Amino acid sequence: MSDSENSEQEIQAQPVEEKQPDLPKFEKDQSDKITTKFGSKTEIAFVKPNRIKINVKKEDILDVATFIRDELNYDHAESVTGVDFPADKEIEVVYHLGSYTDPQLDKQVLSLATRATREDDPNPGKDSTRLPSLRDIFYSVEFHERECFEMLGVFFDGHPDNRRLLLPEDWADLPPLRKDFAIKGR
Amino acid sequence: MTTQLPPGIQLEKVDERIMTLNVGPQHPGSGHMRLIIRVDGDRIVSCDPDPGYVHRGEEKMAEYRNYITNIPHLERPVIHDSCNILYPYCLGVEELLGLQVPERAKYVRVIASELNRFTYTLYWLAIYGIFLGHSTMFMWPAGDREFAIDLLEKLTGARVTHAYFVPGGVRNDLPANFEDVCLRQVNYLEKRLKTYGDIFYDNPILISRTEKTGVLSRQDAIRLGTTGTVLRASGVDYDLRVKEPYDVYDELDVHTNVLKNGDSYDRSKTPWLDMLESCNIIRQALEKMPKSGSVRVKLKPNPKGGNDEVYKRVESGRGALGAYIVSRSKPEPYRVKLSVGSFRNLICMPHLLKGEKLGNMPAVYWSLNYWPVEADR
Amino acid sequence: MSVIAPKFRLGYFLKSLTDNIFWIIILLTLVGIPAIQIVLFYVDLPVLDGVLLTPFLAFTMLFHPELAVPLVKSLLYTDFFRIAAFPGFGFAALLAAGTIFIERKLLAKLQLRVGPFYCGKVEGILQLMGDGLKLISKEIIIPAKADKPIFWAAPILFVATAAAFVSLIPVAPGWVVADIDVGLLAVFAIIGFFPIITILSAWSANSKFPFIGGIRALHQMVSFEIPLILSLLGVVILTGTLNLSEIVESQTHYWFIAFLPIGAIVFFISMLAELERIPFDLPEAESEIVAGWLTEFSGMMYGLVQLGSYLKLYAFAALFVVLFLGGWQGPMVWPPFPEEIITEGIEAGPITIQVPGLPVTTQEMLNGTMWFTLKTIAVIFFILIPRGVFPRIRIDMLLSIGWNKLIALAFVNIFIALGLLYAGVLGPGGIL
Repeated sequence: MSDSENSEQEIQAQPVEEKQPDLPKFEKDQSDKITTKFGSKTEIAFVKPNRIKINVKKEDILDVATFIRDELNYDHAESVTGVDFPADKEIEVVYHLGSYTDPQLDKQVLSLATRATREDDPNPGKDSTRLPSLRDIFYSVEFHERECFEMLGVFFDGHPDNRRLLLPEDWADLPPLRKDFAIKGR
Repeated sequence: MTTQLPPGIQLEKVDERIMTLNVGPQHPGSGHMRLIIRVDGDRIVSCDPDPGYVHRGEEKMAEYRNYITNIPHLERPVIHDSCNILYPYCLGVEELLGLQVPERAKYVRVIASELNRFTYTLYWLAIYGIFLGHSTMFMWPAGDREFAIDLLEKLTGARVTHAYFVPGGVRNDLPANFEDVCLRQVNYLEKRLKTYGDIFYDNPILISRTEKTGVLSRQDAIRLGTTGTVLRASGVDYDLRVKEPYDVYDELDVHTNVLKNGDSYDRSKTPWLDMLESCNIIRQALEKMPKSGSVRVKLKPNPKGGNDEVYKRVESGRGALGAYIVSRSKPEPYRVKLSVGSFRNLICMPHLLKGEKLGNMPAVYWSLNYWPVEADR
Repeated sequence: MSVIAPKFRLGYFLKSLTDNIFWIIILLTLVGIPAIQIVLFYVDLPVLDGVLLTPFLAFTMLFHPELAVPLVKSLLYTDFFRIAAFPGFGFAALLAAGTIFIERKLLAKLQLRVGPFYCGKVEGILQLMGDGLKLISKEIIIPAKADKPIFWAAPILFVATAAAFVSLIPVAPGWVVADIDVGLLAVFAIIGFFPIITILSAWSANSKFPFIGGIRALHQMVSFEIPLILSLLGVVILTGTLNLSEIVESQTHYWFIAFLPIGAIVFFISMLAELERIPFDLPEAESEIVAGWLTEFSGMMYGLVQLGSYLKLYAFAALFVVLFLGGWQGPMVWPPFPEEIITEGIEAGPITIQVPGLPVTTQEMLNGTMWFTLKTIAVIFFILIPRGVFPRIRIDMLLSIGWNKLIALAFVNIFIALGLLYAGVLGPGGIL
């Protein structure tokens, strides 16, 4: 849907007073709390019913995540997804956060996204694509980050165990989910 | 170490008392995954799960197929719960393409999804019986599961891997007289399920083997991000069918079963209670379903999504199953990620098995409702 | 298998005939004549009506049907018959085979299956014969590094011990293979053999899974032997004798299970553990250690071990019946032998055949056997049913049951027995 881009521009322009008719109020309050605290470090990608997406730079992600956990009561991460954008030369890692303790946040899923620059020739264990690990903030990302590491070649600083999880130990090819890794025959 | 090791070889210092056991894929007491367990006598010191034996690269292959041909492909992680795996994907694609699902299709989807809950949970219960050494606990669920599979075969044409849900509805309408047959078989299944309570869950040996083992406290369950029956057995009342109802679950009366103790016994009992609840849901859905109407929205060939992303979740037999779809104006999705309940619950295994007795290992680890194929995708 | 018959050649046919005749003559001289000599010299020939029964006389009796019955009767009371057929091996093996079949059928019905179905016209009755034939025809594979003499001897020792156990059980008054004054003590001694044989066969197989299974079996059997023996002390206290036949004799008015129920329960649970039945089948836990200490046995060795297991099952069930359920005691429901046949003979139309020497068996013996068999079958049912109902128990729970709970209950049982004895209720000189 294309109006997410429009609403993104409009939120940047008018932070609090104007509400577009299709922006749900509760989610907007949530996103406003984040923007009031962090200002320009964060960028709201979209605000949809039950889904908010925030783009953060990788230097600030630890602070933003701690804020989300402590103030907004999100207590666990549901999944960690890595998306490869070779056109922008970046890899985006999206954390989907949910809450079990706060009944108002039952339906909400907050997507926290960071980007890391992508190198063309990854060297597992000595990658230059690095992101800080959110394991100390949200413990449940431990195995998800390991999977992201092996599938996309993103090294997580601070993760105690950057090791292969699903791939065999002797995998010697590119990380599979990168777009330059082509499945044979297609 | 002064000598240079050849590349790819790792050395590990082992303590004298500690023995490393390999509960591997070829073992009659494990699923299709490996657990590297270190034992000191009878106590497990640490456990390192090693999934990945059934990793087929589903998500990568999904980027090469368009939205419709992804249907028989993405149901492979759990073949006998295939409706539930396709459910969030179909909901996501419907939101991306802006489709409006007809009312009758929504009810049929709910019925198929609950029937799949039977097939998965009864299979899991049967294997739990094998791990505990109880042959009747294998035979009865495996036999009763045939009733649900028979219904699904009438409905979709296949016993497993149904490929029934499509974006826009379901693939075909109910066969003639399906409502009566379904009602009768579901009533019979409910009667059979109630007898499980006496022979399995009141069985003193089963209780003594599973009670107070592998206790997961409420705090830990939330912190580890568990989901599904593992979460509900630890005292957290969270069921996506109630909290974030999709399709027609907001019109049906769903009761969540929450147990307090968080040990293996509760984790083995919650799926059974959920199955009894499914019988009620199917009966309500059969009653409220509109008697006629289309079940599918006609799509143009090669539908394209815009530049958008969507994240939809569904409650399956193992927990919350989410699909995160990123689309970039092409017939194929740019990225499909399935966030499966088994993978989220995998972190409980090293956490719970530490300090546990070796004899309790099968009882604890299979009670986590872990399906290895789904976790590997 | 289709055999393409070769063309007939007279020379080959005559050759095969002479071959057969040659082999028959060899067998007769080398095997038959020594057998006859052994029978003549070592077997005690019975005395019928004051006449020594020589083989010549025995053959003539085939043509005199009136003398056939005393001959049969005299054979029935020999030791050989007792060991091989009636209260000994033949009877036990028949009951054991029946137990195997009933177990499979019972378990199947409990689990909503059918069980053996195709072998034999009626519900798979010939399944056991099929299984036996299959086991005989399989190759016996010995592991390369196994300790061969012990490995070969172990199943045979197992069957021999089980058969020795069977030989002590009295089935009917006077019908027991070995009537020992310290019969119960002999039973304990023989039960003590079983863990030794198990660990020997597990150790000699030189493989990991039998090793683990053997150690588990050793732990289990040893830790349940003590409650087994202690629970029977109550019975000994009340009767004052260790002779199994006399124990049955002293249960004419009441059965011991009425006064010593705790002892009976302790004995029953220990029996399940000694027999390695579910819920105590750790040594054979399929989902964990393949087949436990039986893993390396194949072919007829496996068949012998199974036979020994089920003979043991029959013997334990029969011991339970003898000690707690009154053995062969029961109301006389067997009809007495009709008097007319003894005095006047069988009437068949115009002919009256006089058959002296009837009845072959006494009425007490038949009645006792019937009651004994019915009670044993009932106990065997109770042993078979937990297989479908319970999961497997864990090793530390098993050991804590055997060493803590059952010994305590057995002591409680002994005190009850002592109390009953000194209160003058039971036992010699008591009210009952």
